[in-house]
Parts: sequence; C-alpha cells; structure tokens
Amino acid sequence: MTNDHRQRASAEDRDTHDSSAIVFEGVTKRYGDGTVAVDKLDLTLPAGELTVLVGPSGCGKTTTLRMINRLETLSEGQLLIGDRDVMSVDATRLRRQIGYVMQHSGLFPHKTIADNIAVVPRLLGWGKKRIRERVAELVELVGLDEALAERYPHQLSGGQQQRVGLARALAADPPILLMDEPFAAVDPIVRTHLQEEFLSLQRRVQKTIVMVTHDIDEAMKLGDRVAIFAQGGRLAQFDTPAQLLSAPASDFVVDFIGADRELRRLALERLDSLELDAGLTAPRDEIVARARSYLQQAGSGGIVVLDEQRAPLGWLDWDTLKQADDRARIDSLSLKPWRHRLYLHDNLRSALNALISSPGEVMPVLNAQGRYMGVIDQLQLTRRLS
Amino acid sequence: MNNDVMSLLAGVIDFFSQPMNWQGPGSILAHITEHITYVVIATLIGAAIALPVGIGLGHSGRGGLLAINISNIGRAIPSFGVIILVFLLAGFGVMPVIVALVALAIPPMVTNSFVGMREVDPAVRQAAVALGMTGWQRLWQVELPIAMPLIMAGVRTSAVQVMSTATLAAYVGLGGLGRYLIDGLAVRDLAQVLVGAILVAVLAMATELLFAGLQKLITAKGLQ
Amino acid sequence: MNWGWVASNTHQITAALLQHVQLVGLALLFGFLIAFPLALLAVRWPRLYGPSLAVTGVMFTIPSLALFILLMPFTGLSMATSLIGLTIYTLLILFRNIVQGLRGVSPSVREAARALGYTPARRLFTVELPIALPVIVAGIRIAAVTIIGMVTVTALIGQGGLGQLFITGFTLSFATPLVIGFVLSVMLAVAVDLALVGIQYWLTPWQRGVR
Ligand SMILES: Nc1ncnc2c1ncn2[C@@H]1O[C@H](COP(=O)(O)OP(=O)(O)OP(=O)(O)O)[C@@H](O)[C@H]1O
Ligand SMILES: [Mg+2]
Repeated sequence: MTNDHRQRASAEDRDTHDSSAIVFEGVTKRYGDGTVAVDKLDLTLPAGELTVLVGPSGCGKTTTLRMINRLETLSEGQLLIGDRDVMSVDATRLRRQIGYVMQHSGLFPHKTIADNIAVVPRLLGWGKKRIRERVAELVELVGLDEALAERYPHQLSGGQQQRVGLARALAADPPILLMDEPFAAVDPIVRTHLQEEFLSLQRRVQKTIVMVTHDIDEAMKLGDRVAIFAQGGRLAQFDTPAQLLSAPASDFVVDFIGADRELRRLALERLDSLELDAGLTAPRDEIVARARSYLQQAGSGGIVVLDEQRAPLGWLDWDTLKQADDRARIDSLSLKPWRHRLYLHDNLRSALNALISSPGEVMPVLNAQGRYMGVIDQLQLTRRLS
Repeated sequence: MNNDVMSLLAGVIDFFSQPMNWQGPGSILAHITEHITYVVIATLIGAAIALPVGIGLGHSGRGGLLAINISNIGRAIPSFGVIILVFLLAGFGVMPVIVALVALAIPPMVTNSFVGMREVDPAVRQAAVALGMTGWQRLWQVELPIAMPLIMAGVRTSAVQVMSTATLAAYVGLGGLGRYLIDGLAVRDLAQVLVGAILVAVLAMATELLFAGLQKLITAKGLQ
Repeated sequence: MNWGWVASNTHQITAALLQHVQLVGLALLFGFLIAFPLALLAVRWPRLYGPSLAVTGVMFTIPSLALFILLMPFTGLSMATSLIGLTIYTLLILFRNIVQGLRGVSPSVREAARALGYTPARRLFTVELPIALPVIVAGIRIAAVTIIGMVTVTALIGQGGLGQLFITGFTLSFATPLVIGFVLSVMLAVAVDLALVGIQYWLTPWQRGVR
C-alpha cells in the first residue's frame, strides 16, 4: 500500500478515534541537572497515523515519547491527547490506555507469555474468559506460535520477545501506541520482517502510533509522517516522507536524510505509477531469421523471449542471434535469464537494482500473475530522478 | 592423642545412648525444643523488622546505600556483648537472648532484600510503570516475585547464623543446646561439648535444606 | 556510665583493644593465605568447587563457641586456640568470595588475554585478579566485620580482646565495661570497613564513578 493510501484510511479513522490526536504546545522538558532535552516543542500528531521521531542520539526523542504517557513530567507547556491535558488525568489510568513498546521488550521474567500479555486486561479487571480469548487473539495477531503462550520469556528468541512486547502493549486495544526503538535489538533480517508485519498490522488496527528510531530508512519506510529532531530537542522538520525528500527545510535535514536521498525517493514510488515501454518481444517458437529482422528494424541490442503464458523466458542478444541458423527456433538458442523478477507493485529502487544486474539494457516488468507487461530502462528512471 | 580422640568419640556415643538423656526436662529433646524456639522467635521478629526496611528501600531506591552500609556494620555488633548487656539491664529471662539474636538476624535480611529489589531489571521495572501499574501493584506483582530468591537467601543466612549463635543463651542461665557447651566447658567434659556442637550443626544444616526446598517452591518457574 | 572506672582502667581497656586488633588482623592474614591457593585450585579444577563449597558450608554451621572449646585439648587456653578458630571462619568466607570473584571474570576477557599471549600466571595476576578484586574485597569486608564480633566469644576460653570487658561487666554486674567494649568493637568494625573501602577505591581506578 502506498503512503497516500494509508493517509486516506486514517482520514476515515479520525471519526472513530477523534480523541486520540496528540498535541504538543510549547512543551519543554528540563531534567534535574539542567539538561534541556526538549525545547518549546509544537507538534500535532494526527489521530490514526504512524508518526516516526528520528534524530541524532541524545536529541530528546525518548523524552518526547515518554512525556505522552507521563513517564516524564513536562517542565513547561501543555500536552493534549484529544482535548484532555495529560497532566490533568490520573497517570496510571492514562498509561493503561496507551500501549508502550520498548527497545528491550521488558517482559516480566516470572510470568508466562500468556500472563505477560494479560497484564493490562487484568489491571482493568476483565473477566477470565474475556482475557483468555483476547490473549489467543493477540498471539495470532502478532504472528506467534500459540504453543509459545505457556513458555517463559527467557525461552524465546529476541524477535519473538519483541512480538510479545507488542502484543502486551496492544492487549487492552489502546487507541494510542508508543514505541521506543522497537526493532533496534533484533538482527537486520528479523527487523525487516517485523517491520513488514508491523506495517500490515497497522493497516488493520489503525491506531495513533508514535515510534522512535535511529534509522532514517526505517522512518521513511514506516512513517505516515516523520518528525526530524535536531540536537537540543528542537524540531527540524515535520512532514510526510515524500515531502521531506522533495522539500527538505534545511541543510540539517538534507544531511540527516543522507546523500542518497534521490535513491530513497525512488523507494517511495512504484512501477505502476510509470508509463511502461511496450518493449521488443518474440514468442518462443519464432524463427531466427524473423527475430533478426525485428531487431534490425528496432535498432535494439536484444529481444525479450516469452513463453505461451507470456512469461519472460530470457534475453536473446544480437551476438547470439547473428551466428545462429536462419531456420532454427529461437528457444533452441542460449537465452540469458534474469536474476530478479520485477512486478508492477515493486518500487523504483528495486527496479534500479534489477536493471543493474539485467543481461540486457532493459528489464521486463510482470503483473501479479507473472505475465509480461512491458519493460523499463535506465533512461526512464533517470528522467524520474531529476 | 589418638587415644584422646577415641575416648572422646566413645563419650559422645555413650551420651547419645543413655536413655536418661532423652527423657524429661533437661533432655536432648527439651534442649532442642528450647533452642528452636529462640531461633524461630528471633528470626520472625528480625524478618518483621528487616524485610519491610530492605524491601521498602529497594522499591523506592532512595537512601539505600547508606542503609546497606549501616546494616553491614550491624554485623559487627557482638552478640555476646548484647546478651550480657541486656541481661544486666532487664534481668533474667529470654529477653537478652532474643534481643541479641534479632540484632544478629537483621543485617543479612536487610542487605539481601535491598539488593534483590535493586537487581530487578530496570527495563522490567519501567515496563510495569508504563503499563499503568500502581506502586503497590508493581511491588506485589512484579518486583517481589522477581526478588524473592534473594530475599529468601537472606532469611536463610540469618536463620543459620541465629541457630549457631543461640548457644550463647546458656551463658546467662537459659536453656537450649548451648547448655552442653557451657556446662561441658565448666566441667571440662569435651564429649558433652561435642554433643552440643553436633546437634547444633545438624539443626543448622536441616535449616539450610528446609529453606532450599522452600525457596524452590516459591520461586516463580520463569526464574529458575 | 561510670567514667571513673574508665579512667582507672585505661590500661586494661587498651590492652583488650590491642589484643582484639591483633587477633582480627592475624586471623584475616592467615585466612587469606590459606584461602587464596585453595580458591585457585577450586577455580582451576571446577570439579573441586562443588564439594569444597559443601565442606565449607557444613563447617560454617558449627557454633564458634563449640569450635573454640573443642580446640582446647590441643592448644589449651592459649591465643593459638582462638586464632585457629577465627582463622577457620575467615577462611570459609574468603574462600567463597575469591572463587566467586574469579569465576565472575567473563570468558571473553579470559579468552582475549589468552589470545594476546598472556602466560597463565600473568593472566591471573594482571587480568583476572584485578577484575575479581571488588568481589574479593567485599569478602574481606564481611570476614573482617564478622570476625570482629566473633573475637569477643573467645573471652570464654580466656582470650577475647574486648570480650574480656564483657566478662568483667558480667561478673561485676556493672554495665560500664560492657558499653565500652561494645562501642569500641563497633567503632573498630567501622574503621576497618572504611579502610577496606578506601583500599578498594585506590586499587580499582577503573571502577570510580561507576555505581
Ligand atoms: N533522567 C535524566 N536526567 C538527566 N538528563 C537526562 C535524563 N534522561 C535523558 N537525559 C538527557 O536528555 C537528553 C535527551 O535524552 P533522550 O533519552 O530523550 O534522547 P534520545 O533522543 O532518545 O537519544 P537516543 O537516540 O540515544 O536514545 C540527552 O542529552 C540525555 O543525556
Ligand atoms: Mg532514546
């Protein structure tokens, strides 16, 4: 799903969770030793959206996050959830309505996975049956094996523990979810996997989510909006990923997003937003002589050979073709296969990668059924970049 | 010398095999009962004082280091001196012994329960706050269960020390297994002293085993 | 409090205090000298560890008074009797802590030292011991403080340092010597404890500022 799409969904959501937009008004946090962690922050996090806070280490992301559920108290200003001032409500009640996921899962070592997930429902006094059903539901939702429910945290892998942490935070179906570097403690492969699953989960549950991360890639990938913080707890820019890339507000933002931001922008666009070239193709039972004349007419270096279902078989280049016997079928020649398959829903960055390793100058693009839809080439992508 | 040891052992066996030593007041069983009574009372009172202090300080995390240092110095309070001092002030009775043993029991329990509470992983502690638990709920549902093995280890250390120190009760005219030591010393009857030592050691080891079992029983499965 | 008694008995009081210090110091010294090689053996051969813990655990349950009395046939009413008894107790505490400290050195550190080409002895003295030092010093502190209280019991076999003042008070039914003995032995414990903390601070510069 694209970012646009998600924003449309969250607009509908705004009606049902009207109370859960989070508004910072001139919020300052000064620690006891005089450190100003957050400085006069004005920020509105829209309901039903996933906002990511990024910035260099020590810039006050965690502090900002923890003020929302009053793990830290504000020194100045006002923090509203909907129209309620957080400082005016009871802290423990507030926290039970806000899920919180930490970098290290912080699971209770003396409770089973099921009991860990059930903590907040128990605090809220739910009945036994309702809790049991909810736990089963959550175990499924976060993609855990139900056999794990009776285990203890130390018997789980880091990635599994992190899922339990998420399930525990979601247990009482809080409208708001706070996450502090939730995927930082797991290895890159598990992280990518968790991120994907988390995105699809968010599409289903549509909560107001605030996530802290160090990883600008993660921020761009997951966030509906991204808040970039500068040192000293100041907000450098707050925008959608696409806006950040096309209209960075300052040099700091440019630096932070990084030198390869052009490439990042490619990652935000999908192939189906592009006008594909029809490309030069031939069925597998074509004979060499005819294929040769197509190529000569088009002035192309090769041709995409398709099978009966119009799935690409491989790339046939001029060098192979010109030495071949005129009457031979082209699928008897040595065709060069593609290392990647590129589909319409892939983004332009994957397309670029695939193109670089393609045997020919073009790369075929497939629809979801694997049928040939056209080709892209370097020129199309570079035109897109500028 | 070898002969000495042999006759000493013979004396011990003789002592245990005399039916007279197993009956009525002043019998082995009576002394054991007295001894255990002192130990149980002192350990319970000590726990009632020490555990709330150690647990409370550990929970709040304030003033702990000072308390621990004071409590460690408390180990230096000579039980022998306390018994005699309270005896001079309060006169004959169980009071001097109980006071001295309680003073002895407190430090390990304070230290262990404090350390046990402090060693709860800060991430776990923080998760409990973030989930909206009140102070009491955090204490009872999260911190205490996790700290329990160390708290119990403290009670165990105290109980074993109290068990062997309760022998001093005999010096101010009370009963318990210390009678065999003090009386044996007075008449230079080493067999009798050895009988007392063996009985106390056996009781102390029984205490160790009892607590080890108890600890296993009440330690949450996820922590084992 | 009868200060007159204190004034006229300063000689007895200082003698008792000195003997107390002497007994504690020697017991710690001998205890350490014996416990240290034993602990190295137990760390070197882990099979020894379990049994040696069991033995020291059992010995610890023997009441100190009984131990002192039972040593009497061999060493009489001499200072050796109380010294041997006290040394045994320090030994038990120190052995456990030294072993625990050395075993607490993380395997990766040990591995790194090996990889850097340290000989075993050099590794022990320049890597493992310094890292284990805080735990070892903690053991010495507990041993010292425990022994300072325990010395007084040896008054019953004619030694006792400040414990002699307790017996004096008991036989005279007179609290002053008791209070003096009591206060001095607690003060001694505080002083020794602080000194050990200071030594540890000085020996482990890398730990300063870490809680
Ligand atoms: N309890 C505290 N007392 C004093 N200063 C603190 C405290 N907690 C955080 N700080 C300081 O406040 C500033 C912001 O800290 P914060 O934890 O919010 O940063 P962060 O952006 O989350 O950093 P990181 O990316 O490293 O997690 C830092 O300079 C930090 O040293
Ligand atoms: Mg942080």
